[in-house]
Amino acid sequence: MMGKRILLMLGMAMMLGIVYSGRGLALTADEIVDKAIHVAFYQGDDMKVNVIMKIVDSQGRVRKRNIVMLRKDIEEDKEQKYYVYFLEPPDVEGMVYMVWKHLGRDDDRWLYLPALDLVRRIAATDKRSSFVGSDFVYEDISGRTRDQDTHELVEEKDDVYVIKCVPKRPETVEFAYYIVQIRKDNFVPVKFEYYDGTGKLFRTIEVLEIKDIQGYPTVTKARATNLETGGHTDLDYKSVEYNLGIPENIFTERYLRRPPKKWIKL
Amino acid sequence: MGRGLFIAGLVSLLILGIGLDGWSAFRLFGSGPWIRGFVEGSYGLKLHEDDTKHDEYNLAEIHFQLKTRMDLDANDLLADWGAQLNVKLEGVLDEYFDTTMNYKVRELNVSFSPFDWMDVKAGRQILTWGTGDYLFINDLFPKDYVSFYIGRDDEYLKKPSDAIRVSMFWDRASLDIVWIPEFIPDTVPIGERVSFWDPYLQRVAGRDSVMTIVDRSRKISNSEYAARLYGSVGSYEWALYYFDGFYKNPTGFADQSNYEVYYPNLEVYGASFRGPVFRGIGNVEFGYYYSKEDEDGEIREIPNSKVKLLLGYEKDMGHDFRIGMQWQYEYMLDYDEYLHSLMPGDIPSDVDKHTLTLRLTKQLWQQTLTLSLFVFWSPDEEDTYWRPSVSYDVNDNWTVTVGANFMWGKDNWTDFGQVDRNSNVYVRVRYSF
Repeated sequence: MMGKRILLMLGMAMMLGIVYSGRGLALTADEIVDKAIHVAFYQGDDMKVNVIMKIVDSQGRVRKRNIVMLRKDIEEDKEQKYYVYFLEPPDVEGMVYMVWKHLGRDDDRWLYLPALDLVRRIAATDKRSSFVGSDFVYEDISGRTRDQDTHELVEEKDDVYVIKCVPKRPETVEFAYYIVQIRKDNFVPVKFEYYDGTGKLFRTIEVLEIKDIQGYPTVTKARATNLETGGHTDLDYKSVEYNLGIPENIFTERYLRRPPKKWIKL
Repeated sequence: MGRGLFIAGLVSLLILGIGLDGWSAFRLFGSGPWIRGFVEGSYGLKLHEDDTKHDEYNLAEIHFQLKTRMDLDANDLLADWGAQLNVKLEGVLDEYFDTTMNYKVRELNVSFSPFDWMDVKAGRQILTWGTGDYLFINDLFPKDYVSFYIGRDDEYLKKPSDAIRVSMFWDRASLDIVWIPEFIPDTVPIGERVSFWDPYLQRVAGRDSVMTIVDRSRKISNSEYAARLYGSVGSYEWALYYFDGFYKNPTGFADQSNYEVYYPNLEVYGASFRGPVFRGIGNVEFGYYYSKEDEDGEIREIPNSKVKLLLGYEKDMGHDFRIGMQWQYEYMLDYDEYLHSLMPGDIPSDVDKHTLTLRLTKQLWQQTLTLSLFVFWSPDEEDTYWRPSVSYDVNDNWTVTVGANFMWGKDNWTDFGQVDRNSNVYVRVRYSF
């Protein structure tokens, strides 16, 4: 009798425990996405990286982009500033592209053309257009905010969360929804699959390499594939450094006209 | 003969180019500074005959550019100041005038920061500011409209200045001060290559032009000063401008018995404002052109003071398609005095002038193909200028551009009406390394 009671109590305790741990540990889809956005775009207070892109078309022809990118967080998980200095291809060498990223309104973007000493302001409504001619779009580089999509945890695998993201304003994007896989251990989003209105997969982004840099899990290699054109772009994040103390005034007109040697030197 | 040499040069450029493919920036002496640049061949077929040097074409040249940057750190002070030498050298084999190679220094300047709040750039440099797109109110740095009309790259619309630019930076505002010791005018049509309205002949002229431009002599009183005080509030940028120099075009009449024109004194006060509006970028710019030699507007030989206002708007339509629009309004001051000063036979200007522009840019094939159109149109002067172009990046080194310059005007003396015999269709092939 005694044994039965203990067994029952144990069983109840286990059930309670499961319920309890479920309440305590299970994350909502929004919480998982928040963590993933933080890991993908906001780690550290600032960052410097040399980005090499190989854009390969369906016939195997390769174009190369080589840039130095500086990023500084102005408000944690919200406002950021980006400074992008072009090393290659040769016709745009010395060009600078600067972004002040905002949430809930259009980013501010500038382009500096050294041959003309011209600081241009760029209208930047469409964040889904190609980033420097690659298979990545602007939002792949600087992030898509959580509030732009609704998120549903569709599957929980051993090592990843699988989340379906549906845009709240589908007319502003080229996809009907996308499925993102986010690593459970470090919240790095490792695979994105974009589907069109007919449910056909047309674009993927896969993370190929993650390194621990200064304690931050950092994507160092990724590939975007356009299944419609048959082309892909390999992204290589080289010499990533965090928390360098990049001053905020680097992200101003002064340093568009006179690139800051100290910060863009490789 | 010269023509044959040019074509031979162009063909060898192409053959060399195919051989060069994949050849990129190189270092001088193995470990020296990087040398980059391009080689370009261009040809512009002329659509009308006139009395310029050649009827069938107005652009035929092979152009190369070499550029480099060097850190000047041999001395501690220079290293401390982050001193850098910028060099851009060019060679042009211009078939139009002769087939000899002309070398030019496009940029040769040193930049350094003597204080952490100050940058200095001294030497030959390109200077640009203001908010207009091909319309310049407060940017009174020299431009080359001959290059613009015959279809050279946009880079050549700007001419270098030998100048010292000192920039100071504070929290709320920054100040640029530019001193150009020797006045450099715009390059404008004078009939040799691009026909124009000769004010003395009172008709469109080519090589038969009688007009003589009086150069400003090289003395200190002929230097130019420009300043800009600017800053930003959130996403909005403001600027105030000042310029003290000369008209960039020879708009004044000197000794008329010798058909002389010259560059009268000019002072400009201006302001601009730019920022996001209606999910695009809006800009407004204003300038007061103070014609110092004709304060009251009574002198027939010198243009009156003017005010200019520009409104612009650019929008990203998505799918790599952008639209830009501008409206510029010019208003002549002391118009009654101006009318009074005219002589019988003079063609009076209107008191004001409107100019509208439209820019369309569409990129395709992963941004390797760019379709572009820029249109100037003045409804009151009834003249227009269309600049369509198609540019294709074959790969990271090769770019082929085909475009046209179509000018048209009801009257021969308007901005674009006077150059309407120079319309052309051009092709440019460039190898960048």
